Amino acid sequence: MLDVGRHPNIDLLAYSEIEKVEGEEGNFKVTVRRKARYVEEDKCTGCGACKEKCPTVVPDAFNEGMGERKAIYSWFAQGIPSTHTIDPNYCRQLQGKKCGVCAKTCQAGAVNFEQKDRVVELTVGAIIVAAGYDVFDPSRIPEYRYDKLANVVTAIEFERLLSASGPTGGHLDRPSDRAIEAEIEALEKKAGKSQKVIAKFEEQFGQASADFYSSFQKGEYKDDEERNKWAEKYKEHLEIVEPLEAMKKKAEGFTAAKRLAFIQCVGSRDFRFYPFCSGYCCMHSIKEAIIAHEHGPETTSTIFGMDIRAIGKGFEEYKIRGGNHSNITYVRGRVAEIQAGPDNNPVVIYEDTKERMVKSEEFDMVILATACAPTKGIYELADKLGIELDAYDFVKTSPLSPVDTSRPGIFVCGCAGAPMDVPESVAQASSAAERAAEIAFYGDARKEKAVA
Amino acid sequence: MSKDILVIGGGIAGIQSSLDLADMGVKVHLVEKLPSIGGKMAQLDKTFPTNDCAI
Repeated sequence: MLDVGRHPNIDLLAYSEIEKVEGEEGNFKVTVRRKARYVEEDKCTGCGACKEKCPTVVPDAFNEGMGERKAIYSWFAQGIPSTHTIDPNYCRQLQGKKCGVCAKTCQAGAVNFEQKDRVVELTVGAIIVAAGYDVFDPSRIPEYRYDKLANVVTAIEFERLLSASGPTGGHLDRPSDRAIEAEIEALEKKAGKSQKVIAKFEEQFGQASADFYSSFQKGEYKDDEERNKWAEKYKEHLEIVEPLEAMKKKAEGFTAAKRLAFIQCVGSRDFRFYPFCSGYCCMHSIKEAIIAHEHGPETTSTIFGMDIRAIGKGFEEYKIRGGNHSNITYVRGRVAEIQAGPDNNPVVIYEDTKERMVKSEEFDMVILATACAPTKGIYELADKLGIELDAYDFVKTSPLSPVDTSRPGIFVCGCAGAPMDVPESVAQASSAAERAAEIAFYGDARKEKAVA
Repeated sequence: MSKDILVIGGGIAGIQSSLDLADMGVKVHLVEKLPSIGGKMAQLDKTFPTNDCAI
């Protein structure tokens, strides 16, 4: 990534979208909209002082909504370019309220609330489409209860939980436990405020609230207006503190997730959604189970799948290593349902096809290996580029020219063309680069050949 | 006849294509819709089968 930012031959247009494409191979006229960041790219040093001071907290999309960021943000810490961006949907100033704290904090004077979108015209010989994919939305499978059970997560969410730069700093804290901890924090703030109110009364009357309240309940001080207020405030305080104490006691028992279930083919190899095999999910489930085991040696993982497709260099060995050294059990069977169990533990109902029995098992967390779905933006992009999509809305290619689209001079690589893993994406990317280079270097000769 | 190349998408595939072309001496315009490049791979903790860091 750093090399891209530094390379003299790369003109990086981040936070930009394709508006219009005209022309033909060798001579495409492309209009690119550079969206307003409200931060000057040539001035911002990426120091991050602005986001420290920004008062508006927003769910962090990079962490799949599990962490928090500010209204002025960098997409992620090591992001290239490091230029910060203001989210106009959340920024107080851009929403017409009074703020501008970031502009006051920025020593480089980079914040510019008046910035507008800019339109750039490019002339290029060839285009490479590397638009990627979207994660399948598992809430479309109601029996897996992804949107109801906090501890049922997608593989990419789990990836963020495992990451040292993620919302938990790499600790496998369960989402339900994190929610309770967040609630405790909020209640503690509230309790602190009400404690201050009560302390004032205690000082005024020289008596502890608990003693006063017991005599108040016996019927004393009924006519004293101030003491009535005190009693009311103390009652409110108790209503905060009592559930808070219970929650705190519960939170003491929280540990990292230790019993993990991985469910394969969520949305893929499923005729209701995508009949194809996404190809990489078996491997990322094994990888996540191995990494989770590295985080906590007592972690056990069960991978539920129709079969484990470990096709690739070193993949089968990786799978066996996971089974032998990382407490992974492979169960052949498709999961029918995930139910709510005690202590927010999901219960997996499945058929063990080897034993021909329907079984159920309780886990700390369930991770869904979601399908590789075509990216939502591909329809509009394909329309602008004038390229065809296939039956599943990936870019149409043919087996003997896997990076050529239906339009000459436009190539595709990575998951925009079909589901594939990182090594394959990289190989295809180099292939697409070579096809595009043919036009850059021998474009004129190609044209003559085409005419002849 | 333009010798520049446009790459749409700054994930691992777009990054690899851009670098390959740029190293060949071709001018590349890399368009990414999000504020930073990196794509899905930047969200990953590690990659299989070597458990190398993804970033």
